[in-house]
Order: sequence, then structure tokens, then C-alpha cells
Amino acid sequence: MKSKLSMLLSALLLTAMVLSACATPGAQPAAQPAASGEQAAASAGAVNLQLMGWASSDAENVRLQEVVDGWNAANPDIQVSLNLVPDYDTKLQTSLAGGAPPDIFYVDSFRLPDLAAANALLPIGDKMTNVDDFYPSLREAFTVGGTFYCPPKDFSTLALEYNTDLFDAAGLAYPTADWTWDDLRAAAEKLTNKDTGVVGFSINPDFARWIAFLYQAGGEVTTPDFSAMTLNTPEALTAMEFYVGLVRDGFAAPASDLDSGWPGEAFGKGRAAMTMEGNWIVPFLKDQFPDLKYGITELPAGPAGKATMAFTVCYGVAANGKHTDAATKVVDYLTGPEGMKAWTDLGLAMPTRQSLREGWLAQYPNLEPFLNGADYAHKWQFRPGFGEVLDAINAGLQEAFTGAKTPQAVLSEAQSVGEQVLAR
Amino acid sequence: MATGIKQQDRQDAIAGWGFMTPALILFAVFVFIPIFFAIYFSFTDWNGISPPAEAKLVGFDNFRALLFEDGIRRADFFKALKNTAYFSLGVVPTQTALALLLAVIVNQRRLRFKSFFRTAYYFPSITSSIAISMLFLFLYQKNGLINQVLQAITFGAWEPIAWMADPRGLFHIIFGWFGLTLETAPAWMQANVLSLSVWDWLSGPSVALMGIMILNTWTTIGTMMVIFLAALQDVPREVYEAAEIDGANARQIFFKITLPLVRPTLFFVVTLGLIGTFQVFDQVYVMSSGGPAKTTLTVAYLVYRNGFTNSQMGLAAAIALLLFVIIFTLTLVQRRITEGKKE
Repeated sequence: MKSKLSMLLSALLLTAMVLSACATPGAQPAAQPAASGEQAAASAGAVNLQLMGWASSDAENVRLQEVVDGWNAANPDIQVSLNLVPDYDTKLQTSLAGGAPPDIFYVDSFRLPDLAAANALLPIGDKMTNVDDFYPSLREAFTVGGTFYCPPKDFSTLALEYNTDLFDAAGLAYPTADWTWDDLRAAAEKLTNKDTGVVGFSINPDFARWIAFLYQAGGEVTTPDFSAMTLNTPEALTAMEFYVGLVRDGFAAPASDLDSGWPGEAFGKGRAAMTMEGNWIVPFLKDQFPDLKYGITELPAGPAGKATMAFTVCYGVAANGKHTDAATKVVDYLTGPEGMKAWTDLGLAMPTRQSLREGWLAQYPNLEPFLNGADYAHKWQFRPGFGEVLDAINAGLQEAFTGAKTPQAVLSEAQSVGEQVLAR
Repeated sequence: MATGIKQQDRQDAIAGWGFMTPALILFAVFVFIPIFFAIYFSFTDWNGISPPAEAKLVGFDNFRALLFEDGIRRADFFKALKNTAYFSLGVVPTQTALALLLAVIVNQRRLRFKSFFRTAYYFPSITSSIAISMLFLFLYQKNGLINQVLQAITFGAWEPIAWMADPRGLFHIIFGWFGLTLETAPAWMQANVLSLSVWDWLSGPSVALMGIMILNTWTTIGTMMVIFLAALQDVPREVYEAAEIDGANARQIFFKITLPLVRPTLFFVVTLGLIGTFQVFDQVYVMSSGGPAKTTLTVAYLVYRNGFTNSQMGLAAAIALLLFVIIFTLTLVQRRITEGKKE
């Protein structure tokens, strides 16, 4: 019995030894300069930083690498290696919890409150060059409890895309920035054609779309200080009834009813005459549906005026990183006038600095409706744990679209879930 | 003499432990330590982001929120449990029966192209689950192959549905044929049991969940078939010959000879099926992310969502622990049932 125990102990000891032996070689690659960069040899004492993000389109990935390469060439003492990974959220979370996060990483505005609550981020927003140059709505998206955590890398807003051929065929005037909800509904009704299987408008049961209507109706998700949920208001009900009503009356349909994976695809296939997506739809349509003729305008105004959503990502610096000063400098370059211009020159991502607006618009005038949205966009950012409210509203919208739930029931339930989240 | 044996024993023990050490190390690192941490975290409020050492112990708070406090956490947990139970009840009997049927077919001595069929039936099991899920997403589209086939065999009477976007429960649909809807349901159906209404409990699997159930059955039959096949080939041929001489027909042979002799394998297959269905994750992750209307939210997916998108790793660990207890209990119960008839 005793010998068994001692054997077990020695086995455990051996395990510990193997593990500790593993730890040392694991640390080595990080200490050595990256062998790939040609500057690496020249700068033996250089600081090496890792920038982690998720992959987007090939063109954007290449451009971001070029921007990073530009920094590396000009700054031999701070070398940045770009690491675009799949399954980003899981990877980031485990590396943060493991105590070895990348120096710089993407942070989605919706995820920011969770990361800020966990003290994972160094507040570097106010250390950036000319902070006031960032659109206020985007600064707001990365501000939690009065702290501007990280500067926006780029952003997207929602706008209205319309199929000009279908509008011509129906003899309707194209949508304009002056449109209201009534115009949208009337046009959607006229454009819907049961025989050809075309609906006027494609919208998914998605909180991230409905919320634009909520703000257009003058509603709010919570009070500004997050002390109470405000989804059981007449404004929210108006927005919910309008959004769900479009679908229940048959003038709008979710992508799944139009044999598509998302509304952008339904729009590209010509199955929906209008949709409301962000500027990511532009390269998608160019790539998948190059012959589609369409226009873009701002979202229609609701009873309380115009509103859209800003979806944005920032460069976060890890609070417990080893080289936070160097990382902050790099972020300042990437989001600074020079780096931002190089990054957004492709016309895929929009510059977050107001000073770059005119130059960018001169290159891409047709994308103006998206950029204009920055002036009246709301942030896509709430509280830690708000993912549960998002899930509740999405689930409710899905049932409301099939008629299984009334708009009021969806709101009451979301209100109750939200109250539980805020109470934590 | 006695000491010699003792010495021999000791040397055997050293050799034994020596041979086992590599496996033990692997087990310790990848199984025991993670299990220990999962149990520990289920009693903390760890968010999964900050270093684990900063997690605060909260006692049984997570379990209380999941089991005893009325709220969204308990509602989600029991909704996931309900979905998983329907999933399991639908998939396990179907896949076991079909796998046994296929195994009996390909076990026939006189069957031609035997190895072709064996390969064909096993093929779905070795194909990437992610790839198959993506493919089925297309099949389940509104103008997808499945709707088209259903339309063809019903001469157009079938109304195409977007399978993966349909949250209607099977039983709710059937209730609807008899005029029973949420509005006309009796009061007892509206009552709340464990944060869900009785009406919700009785939903049956949603159309979207059935889509995943069909896919899951199809991909797992092959493995189960191979296991049955091995068992069938272990049944001595003399037993069959004796039965034939006694004048037993094919049905009698199957129910009186084959089935009792493969009973231990049946237990094994049902257990595997039960565990597999209670842990179903990848197909949900790829095909539906728990939607529409949380009707494909399974317990395993709820663990992932709480841990990695809602920053509640402590709660996620508690759910995982409860899932373990449930699977363990079910396996014991089912062992009783399957082996109960043994004299």
C-alpha cells in the first residue's frame, strides 16, 4: 500500500517536472525576434509585439499587413507581428485568462463592457493623437463609465440598399435620405410580388437591425446610466409593431424565407427590393452579384427622426501586457491620421477620423450614406452580460415573425431579462 | 521464498507503474486536472476573462440560479434540458433500431456487394461533421432538395418550409390540427413549472431541431452499425442452425435468438447514443447557434454560450457539472432497464 502511494507520488512529481520543463522552451520563441522580418536581424534589442485579430476579406488582410509592415520598416525598435486567427473570441478569452494575452487585439464594441469589467484593457483612448478627431459617436462606443478605453479601428453603419431595376419596373421613385417609415412601408408593399417571389424588404429577426427602428421611434434600450430597462415603453412598442408588421403583412421577409443565408444575399439574388445592411454589403455584392444594379441611401426617419447603428472595432491594449507603452505607440500609429488613411484607402473600411472624411468621400462618393450615419449613429454597446438580453430579443423576434408571439410579449420578456441582467 | 515473491511483486509493480506513467501523465493533464478545475469553477463567479486566481468563491450560487431561482438562467437551463431530452428521445431509439437493422442486413451471408454496403453506411460517420452540417444547411433551405423531394412525393401538397428558421414545436403543430393553440389552451397549460410554461414543456422538438436530429441520426448510424456487426458475428452459427431445424421463422430467430444474444451490445450502443445526444454541440454550433427562438439550444451549447460569449464561466462550469450528473444518472437507470431481465 505504502509503495503504491510513493509510486503515485513519484509519478506526480515526474508530471510536474515534465510540465515545468515544457514551460521553458515554450517561452523562448516569444523572446526571440521573429525570424521572418528582414529588419529583425538589424534590431537585436527590439521589442516584439503581437497584434491579434480576426481575418476579414483577403484584400483587407493584405492591406493591414502592408500597414503593419510600414510601421515595422520605420520603427526597428518595435516590431509588430500580425496574427489573424479563426474562432477569435474563444482564442482571445483563453489567452487573457491564461495571463499571456497578445499585446494588441481587436475589441468589438459589444464585447467591450465584459472586457472592461474584467480589467483586461488598458485605457489608452485619451493618449491618442488628436482624440477629438474621432467621431463622437465612435468614442462613445468605446467609453465605459467615463473612460475612453481604445481608439476605433474602423466602423460600419446601417443604410438602406435598393435594387434600381425593381424600383424602375414598379415605376417607383428611388428612396432618398428624406424618406420616412410610411414611405418605406408603402414602397415595400408595392414592390412585393407574390408571383415572382420578390418581397419589398428583407430583414432578419435580429436585435442589431430592429434597434435602429427603436431609436428612430424615440425609444431606448435602457436609461443612459443603465439603472433601468426601457423596453416596455410606447416608443419601443411602436418600433416593434412596425418591424414585425412589415413581415406579418408579407411586405418584408427574413433571409431564410428567400432561400438565402442573410438579407444581403437575398438582396443580391433580387429576391428583395430593399435591405438594410452596413457597408460590408458593398464588396460582397461586387464579388457575388457583379451585375446587380442598386443604390444606397440613408435609413428612413421614424416618428422621432433619423437614427442608425454604428458597428465598430477598436485596437485594445492588454492591461497586463509586457510592453504596453510600445503597444500604445503602435495603436496611435494605426489609428492616427497616417495609419488610418493607409488602412481605409481601399474603400472597404471607413475612417474613424473626421479629418479624413473629405478625402475618403472624394474617392468613394457612392458610400457617403454610410459615412453620414456617423453623425447620428448610436453605439452598439451596453453592459457586461448584455448578451443574454440580445439572445432574448432575437428569440422573441424569431417567434414574432412567425406570429407565435405578439410584439408586446416580446418586449415584456426582454424587459424582464434585461432587469435581471442590470440587477447583477 | 516468501521474500522472493515479494521482491518479484515489487519489481512487477515498478514495471507496471513505469508502463502506465505516460498514460497517467496524459490523463492527469488533459482529464483529471481539467475536471478538478471545472468542479472548482462551478462554485466561483469566474468570468472566464480575468486570471482564474481572481475568481471569487460564491458557494452554491450558480446552482441555486440554475435550479431554484425563477429567472432567465433557470429558464434557459431547463429550456436547453427540454430540447436535449426531445433530441435524445428522438435520436437514440431511431439510430439504435436503424443501426441494428442495417447490421443485420449487411451481416447476411448471401448478400452481394457486402463490403460496398458496409462502407457506404459507415461513410457518414467518418466525414467531417462541420462539412456535413454545412451541406445540410443547403438541403434544408426553402427551395432546397428536401422540400423539393417532399413536394414531389406529395404531388405539390407539401408547403415548403425554411427548416432551420422554423421554431414551431412538433407537438404544437399537431395540437394545432385539433384546434389547440396557446390562446385556446386550458389554464393548467399556461402554468409555470421551473420557469417554463407547461405549454412550452409540451412543445416537442421544433422543426429546426428535427432537422438537426435527422442529420445526427444519419451521421451516427454507421458507427453503431459497426458495433452491432461485431456483436452479430460473435453469435455462433450453430445457434441459428439449431433454431432453423426447430422450425423457427426469420422473425422468431431475430427476436428469440439475435436480440437476446446482442443485448450487452445493445446496452453499449444505447449508452453511447445517450451520452452523444446529451453532449450534442458541433451541429448546433454550425447550423443554428441555438436559434430559432432558442429551440435548438442544447445543454452543451448553453455551456459554450455562457462560458465564451456571455462571460459567465462559473455558471457554465455549473451547467457542465449538472450535465455530468444527468448523464451519469441516466446511464445507471438505463443499465438497470437493459440488464434487469437477466435471471
